[in-house]
Amino acid sequence: MLESARPLGTPLAKTRELPLAIILRQVDWLLVIGIAALVGYGLWAVAGVTGHEVPGQPHYYLAKQELYAGVGAVMLLLAAAFHPDLYRRYWRALYVVAILTLLLVPLLGVAKRGSRRWLQIGSFQFQPSEFAKVLVVLALAGFLAERGRALRDRSTVIGVLILVAIPTALVFMQPDFGTALVYAAVTAAVLLIAGTRWLHLGTLVAATLIGAALLVWILPALGVQVLRPYQTQRLTGFIHPSFDPNHATYNVAQSKVALGAGGLHGRGTIGSTQTVLGFLPENHTDFIFAAIGEEHGFVGTSILLALYLFVVWRGLRALAGAGDGYGAVVIGGIVATMVFQVFVNVGMTMGIAPITGIPLPLVSVGGSSLIANLAALGVLIGVQMRGEGARGRLR
Amino acid sequence: MPEIPGGFGSFVPGDPRTREPWHVNQQTILRAGILGAIAIALFVTLIVRLWALQIISGNEYLRIAQDNQVRTVRLQAPRGSIVDIKNRVLVKNRLTHEVRVWYAELPGKGDRPTRHDVLKKLAGVLNVRPKRLYREVDARKVDPLNPVVVKADVNHWQSDYILERSDQFPGVEVASHYVRDYPQGWLAAQTLGYVGSATEQEIKNNPSIKPGDLVGQSGVEAAFDDYLRGTPGVASQRIDSQGRPRSELVANPEPQPGDTVQLTIDADLQSVAQKALKDGIQIAKNSCASCWNANGGAIVALNPNDGSVLALASYPSYSPAVYAGHVTNRKLARWGLTASSGLADNYPGLNRATMGLYPPGSTFKPVTAIAAIQSGVLDPEANLHCTGKLIDHGTRFDNWDPNANSWINLPTALALSCDTYFYQLGQRIWGLPKINGEPIQKWAKIFGLGKHTGIEIGDYAGLVPTKKWQRRHYKAPEDRTWKPGDSINLSIGQKDLQVTPLQMARLYGGIATGKLVTPHLLASVQRDKRTIKLGISKAPEAIAPGSDFSQKLNIIRTGLFMATHDTIGTSSAVFGSFPIPIAGKTGTAEKYSNQYQRNFNQAWWCGYGPTDKPELVVCAVIENGGHGGTAAAPAALEVFRQFFHKSNTYTLPTQTD
Repeated sequence: MLESARPLGTPLAKTRELPLAIILRQVDWLLVIGIAALVGYGLWAVAGVTGHEVPGQPHYYLAKQELYAGVGAVMLLLAAAFHPDLYRRYWRALYVVAILTLLLVPLLGVAKRGSRRWLQIGSFQFQPSEFAKVLVVLALAGFLAERGRALRDRSTVIGVLILVAIPTALVFMQPDFGTALVYAAVTAAVLLIAGTRWLHLGTLVAATLIGAALLVWILPALGVQVLRPYQTQRLTGFIHPSFDPNHATYNVAQSKVALGAGGLHGRGTIGSTQTVLGFLPENHTDFIFAAIGEEHGFVGTSILLALYLFVVWRGLRALAGAGDGYGAVVIGGIVATMVFQVFVNVGMTMGIAPITGIPLPLVSVGGSSLIANLAALGVLIGVQMRGEGARGRLR
Repeated sequence: MPEIPGGFGSFVPGDPRTREPWHVNQQTILRAGILGAIAIALFVTLIVRLWALQIISGNEYLRIAQDNQVRTVRLQAPRGSIVDIKNRVLVKNRLTHEVRVWYAELPGKGDRPTRHDVLKKLAGVLNVRPKRLYREVDARKVDPLNPVVVKADVNHWQSDYILERSDQFPGVEVASHYVRDYPQGWLAAQTLGYVGSATEQEIKNNPSIKPGDLVGQSGVEAAFDDYLRGTPGVASQRIDSQGRPRSELVANPEPQPGDTVQLTIDADLQSVAQKALKDGIQIAKNSCASCWNANGGAIVALNPNDGSVLALASYPSYSPAVYAGHVTNRKLARWGLTASSGLADNYPGLNRATMGLYPPGSTFKPVTAIAAIQSGVLDPEANLHCTGKLIDHGTRFDNWDPNANSWINLPTALALSCDTYFYQLGQRIWGLPKINGEPIQKWAKIFGLGKHTGIEIGDYAGLVPTKKWQRRHYKAPEDRTWKPGDSINLSIGQKDLQVTPLQMARLYGGIATGKLVTPHLLASVQRDKRTIKLGISKAPEAIAPGSDFSQKLNIIRTGLFMATHDTIGTSSAVFGSFPIPIAGKTGTAEKYSNQYQRNFNQAWWCGYGPTDKPELVVCAVIENGGHGGTAAAPAALEVFRQFFHKSNTYTLPTQTD
């Protein structure tokens, strides 16, 4: 074969793209439909939640979110169009881009409500930590692909930890504890799929638990405050909700009332007093799930969760069909990001997860989150449509 | 077909450090399965929790959500009216409108009209300076939950203008509430008292009082607050999380208006008493060279049979309306109603009828006489020498009439108000063995001096100086012991003895009837035109048992009648020609003025009539100028004239006691 004539180990060997017809036939359209359904559901929910937000402009947030969805769709197509091999080979560049944008935030960033997370570009604000989520997945997968033979080595695990520690530290300082947690979850998922030894994984999980305990309980007890008091309270508030001297869990209390009041069928977009009268804070961003719960009830929320689960299922199916370790790790990381974010966000609105500023993927109003998530799913589709099935067809 | 690095076996081309392509193997599939299992576990957790929240506890949370946006507002109950004995309204309520601004509702950035336009227009309607309005509104922007009251008590035209054009005044609200209204003007200002927002102490003491409630702070308003206050209603209103109203107020229950309080005060008599007091002060000012400072006083008119108070006049006074509506310290200071401004206006807020403390002077002589008779040192029929002066242990005590020189009995001594006669009684009482105690002080207390009268609006107890008190009160050893001079001074109601006009009126009522009443102001409490409670009707208490005592009182009464009718009497010039027989006593007491560092005369007249069947006791006192016969007696006469609807003519004597 012609390929075999190519000298082994050429680092920048040209990637061979599969014929377009094969790729398109291979695309998991159910996955695409699932994603589209999620985005569509999100737009519908945003329309209901924010209809009264800006007096006289019922479509203020909807129009914005539609625009973001459009940009996100383009990003998805672009991300899918690039051959995953490019991501693998240029993982260092991607990693550097992620670190640089995160570094720019403390220097040039815009602060809102005490955190500096946004970069201002023209009239557009974007949040590098959202894009860094997928970039970190790609960087870790790229690093692991390079060490394909040494996956079970301790040094590989340590390398992954060092790679992820830098962006984690950067977002932690913003402070954006939630995103830092996402990076940690992603690391775990990536190591899991990459085939790290169980011993290493178990050690890491144990170390994380001990570290969390140190951060939240033991160090403050010894007088060392790593987290700010409000952060500790938000993180632990769900464990003992009645202890709330600074109203750190006020939002959660209102959110639970909103969800509960929604009942089975919801209170509609007009009768949902928690959402409409402003008792539910952040009702179109971090707490949109509670707003959906109040307006559309258990029916609405369970449909939404089912849609997520559907996308996760198709994603894991794509993982199994990736055929290639690198692709599998990328998909695993992206799916884990999604699952973790959904769980922490939805759990927060119900008082069973810490209060962190993690948006609900594809649904919360916010350009960076929506576009970054769609781009990540684009990468996923890009891997999926070039997976085993496609190669099988070619053969 | 063998897998070749970079071949189609993997879409990843060969890597120099990877000997064989990195394939998805069984281990990877297993681990993906674990990831999927974790995902499913997490989603199941979410769904279960969601089920618990939305389905199982849904109703409970729905109730919380419904309560969440309901604000309950206390609806002010219209305060009860205060009427006089003939049901003439003394105090009622008036509905006023105030203009408030809700900061959060004002136009925001980029709105038309701008916030500036709205406030400027509002300032024009309310006739206030726009700059002041901006300042007031801006000062409160940190507190969006409470409106800024920009003008209280706006007129109808202004409130209608704003209400009719509410679209031009976003964030501006016209609120209505009740304020006290005084149709009789300055009538009985200190007695009626005033209302104000509940103090912290009142809220703590009474659980039914909430911050912002109006509570009587003094006088009748405070004494009968429980009847007048009524029961506030509760209204609920839907609000958003910013506290802005989103629906009409729905009252449940409606507020219960306060009860009407009927006083024993007679508005006509009160009005005459106030005028008589003012006239008396003017007469006093003109009556003598050293009388220029006459500047205050009080008149009490009391029913000696049941204790109902018919008039309580106090001068200087103020218009009670200053306490209605929006009260500022500056406004009160203009009326002399703050601590710092009081002195300049001679404390108009002080109810001198119940809280003015004066030495009673000669009006106290009947008590000395009773004490002397009862302790056996005086035979009322016996004659004592009335002289121009009396020397005791080298100290000279003057008679008010330096030329007096006659042997007189008790009634004549009272009629003449001979000081030296009573000095001798003082001397005799001082000389009594210790076993006899302190007869003058004892009888002063029996007649109700030195203690509260029991009037509902509260009063001062005054002071009856005793040996014990003297020992405690004074520092210098020579002042601390009770000397003959102290008894002599006390015998004519001077030095440390302090009484209120109300106490003296009660005392003279006691002389008139032989019984001591409890002065009271409450006639009845009425709800929906029905009487639900009558005023206190404590039976008058006999001063001392036995017909023997009433005979002795008769001697005093004779003296008091001679004082108003005999040619030698100190106020017979004023009362002699009055068709109703009035008996009474003048008094001119010296009181030290801290302000002027000298003594001023306090002019007194106390008496009752008709003598055979007393219906009215009047006590008048004029501060810092004038004599009892020339200033206080004419003022008291005015009250009798009004009460009995009779009149007489008289010429004022030049100088009397």
